[in-house]
Amino acid sequence: MNKTNSIIEKVLKDPVTDHVVLAYSKSETHHIRFSNNSVNRENLHKLEEEVKAEVGVDGATGACRTNDLSEEGIKRAVAKAYETAKLLPKDPEYMPPITQQEAAAVKNFKPAFGEFSEEKKYGILDEAFGEMKKAGLNSAGSLSANPYTLEVYNNRGARLSHTNCFSTLALTAMTGNSSFKDSHISKDFSDYDGAKFLSDLVSRAKLSENPGPLEPGKYTVVLGPAAVEELLLFFCWYNMDAKAIDEGRSAFSKRPGATIASDLVHICSKPDHGRVGLHPFCIDDGMPYTEFDMIKGGKLVSPWYSRFYAAKKGVAATGKQSANILFKGTDKPLEALIAGVENGVYVNSFWYIRLVDLMDGIFTGMTRDGVFRIKDGKLAGSVNNFRFNQSVFDLLLNTIDVGRAKDMFFTSMPPITVRDFNFVSKTEF
Amino acid sequence: MDKLREIIKYLEGRQARFADAREHLFRQREIYTEDTRVEQITEQDISGVGIKVLYNNGWGYASTSAMDMDSLRAAADKALSLAKYADKSAVEPVVLAAEPRHTGRFATNIKENPFEVKISDAVGALLEAGEISLKGKDIIKANGYLVLRNMRKKYANTEGSAIETDIYTILPEIQATARANGEVKSRHYWASPETAGYEFFRGIDFKTNAARIAEQAREHCFARACESGPTTLILDPEHLSLTIHESVGHPTELDRVLGYEESCAGRSFATMDKLGKFKYGSELVNLVADNTLEGGLASCGYDDEGVECQKWHIVKDGILNGYGVNRELAHKMNMSRANGTTRATLYSDVPITRMPNLYLAPGKKPLTKEQLIADTESGIYIEGMGSFSIDQMRLNMQFGGDAFWEIKNGKITGMLKDVVYNALSYEFWRSCDAIADESEFRRAGFITCGKGDPMQAAQMTHGASPARFRNITVRRAK
Repeated sequence: MNKTNSIIEKVLKDPVTDHVVLAYSKSETHHIRFSNNSVNRENLHKLEEEVKAEVGVDGATGACRTNDLSEEGIKRAVAKAYETAKLLPKDPEYMPPITQQEAAAVKNFKPAFGEFSEEKKYGILDEAFGEMKKAGLNSAGSLSANPYTLEVYNNRGARLSHTNCFSTLALTAMTGNSSFKDSHISKDFSDYDGAKFLSDLVSRAKLSENPGPLEPGKYTVVLGPAAVEELLLFFCWYNMDAKAIDEGRSAFSKRPGATIASDLVHICSKPDHGRVGLHPFCIDDGMPYTEFDMIKGGKLVSPWYSRFYAAKKGVAATGKQSANILFKGTDKPLEALIAGVENGVYVNSFWYIRLVDLMDGIFTGMTRDGVFRIKDGKLAGSVNNFRFNQSVFDLLLNTIDVGRAKDMFFTSMPPITVRDFNFVSKTEF
Repeated sequence: MDKLREIIKYLEGRQARFADAREHLFRQREIYTEDTRVEQITEQDISGVGIKVLYNNGWGYASTSAMDMDSLRAAADKALSLAKYADKSAVEPVVLAAEPRHTGRFATNIKENPFEVKISDAVGALLEAGEISLKGKDIIKANGYLVLRNMRKKYANTEGSAIETDIYTILPEIQATARANGEVKSRHYWASPETAGYEFFRGIDFKTNAARIAEQAREHCFARACESGPTTLILDPEHLSLTIHESVGHPTELDRVLGYEESCAGRSFATMDKLGKFKYGSELVNLVADNTLEGGLASCGYDDEGVECQKWHIVKDGILNGYGVNRELAHKMNMSRANGTTRATLYSDVPITRMPNLYLAPGKKPLTKEQLIADTESGIYIEGMGSFSIDQMRLNMQFGGDAFWEIKNGKITGMLKDVVYNALSYEFWRSCDAIADESEFRRAGFITCGKGDPMQAAQMTHGASPARFRNITVRRAK
């Protein structure tokens, strides 16, 4: 038990009310950013430790975050949370802290990861800069490693802890008039094959050179995993809250029981997935996340239920958000999806997605870092970037093929083929 | 300040070419209300020291939340070690623009400390606004949001600067959502955020605005869908703040222009070869950066590399005239001095070039909003911020809004819905043919402008008088 744990236990031995939750987080980030084939931007190390104190008083809660982890500092945070709660009116959605028994349901897992040394990190970048220069390309991106621990304690005996690590190399390779981006996501980069990663990246970046003009319109598209993730995350954040659905403030409100997706679409959450997901419990109150299907068989199976709303509706709580979002893939490689398209467009990633119409699930955004024409089942050169205005319901319904999923931090997403994707305008590059 | 000076001295003794240390206390209270309940109140008290080191031509940065000298020295050693690694891949010499040695102090001019006012005061005002909105017909949701922020910094560098700043920020917002006629529409009221004391919050008329937004949210549900095609737009100051932010503020950050932000925020079409000659807008368009603006969200006296805040034109009489420039990149523009736009969110964040306070200068001829509308045969008047998106070179932009009205024969004839407009940013600004005068000037601003990697959120003020734009492509949102 470290010093902070001991202080937290001491504070909880004599809780200020019958509702005290202390959430502790510790992370050590080494983040190296680069551009123009050189480490010339954020090149930082930070060790962050915080405690968030939540205190309930007569059906209202207050919270305070602090990075003063001395006994006085933590007690001060508890006192501030208490003072805040005391001044508030009773909250009709108040929930007491979770019990020890509820906490025991957590689907925890212990990911294995080793040391990712500074020498290794800068060495990976040296190799990348060398390959980019050799190929006549410029590069920008970041390499980061972030081991962290999250713990939740409360006065009802709940004790939860999770340690994990995510490391990422995000690399955009640029020609004089185009770019292509790819990422390697790992625990400690012991699985990183630099030669293959860089060679694939170089070949796609070269293919992106000299984008030709293509008019906007409706196209069959193959969306890469990053593009699928970006769009689906926005869609879920706006629409998956069960209370909002019942109150008529979600696109699902207008579609009770409706077919909203192709049978190929299966989206779910699994807290103990192991490779995907930041923590298997809610870091505010420790509520264990559950395994559940969100979209399956063409229908919405379950939205996200907070503890309060689940209790009100008599269903199991999933959390205000889920542990992760997994779009089930197949064993088809990306190339197989591209081979299945006679005339279409491949989109590597999107950029600046924003909601346009809530109730119809319409989003806008731009393509970015890799847009290719597909002709006769093959990538046939690069084209200009597009703006899209697209209903995600139409996208889910028009999904005609699903490939092998790629694991990312919070999601696992496959490439998908979608009919009639709606590009409304193009840009100058 | 003594500890910061000591750590700077420590780094000087270890061959740092340049170093600075920033003690940064970030205190924030956020209040969220939903209908007549308090959804969440969060307090944050985060403090620590960030140390930046230049070794030869490589930069390193490390931070610590502990204030004892051993921890500070350990952070300094780590920053120096990272700088040495960075130096190995350096492709060009780092040249820092000169900046006078500053030993000043800057503080927001406040009458009432927001953190000394009982939370129940602000909660009461937001809940009362919620109650008023919920009385509106067909209103299904009322939300309130308030941020009170205090950032206290001490800064010291190897050039002898020793600066203290103490900035208070207030951002209030209320929103009402109506469901009627098969539609769900929200309308918000956003009193322009300011660096100010609690007296600013006390001066806000939530009651009148809560009733107004409830009524307009419902009216929006019954509005006629807009027609697609080219039309004339008149945009209100709050709406224009977002347009200015996205299509002028970001593309004129010099680090973006030079490719340093390619992997995240993107680059810019407003390249340096266009400086002084590129027609960014019509000759009516003057966009002024001003980090000396009283109450401005980016008005902090001195930035996080010890440069005094300044005022300059980004666009002058329609021509690209300047950028936001840090000390490292100033020499690339042959500027002898940076312009004070480098900021960090927390002590653990590296200071980067951030957007200054940036506003569209009012028209010089007398012209009210009403006269502007009366002078417009056909078009759409847009208020507030809605959907917004722009490509990574800051060219293709699409904006919605919070409320839309049809203009016919110089009169507002009724509300419209489903309006988004799409343009290339410079074509948009070139199409500006009228700007209302100073009497119509209003501010708006942001505290959540995202940039950097790891992502940081910065704050800045914008402002404008209502302005007219011709021949803009409007598209029905669905």
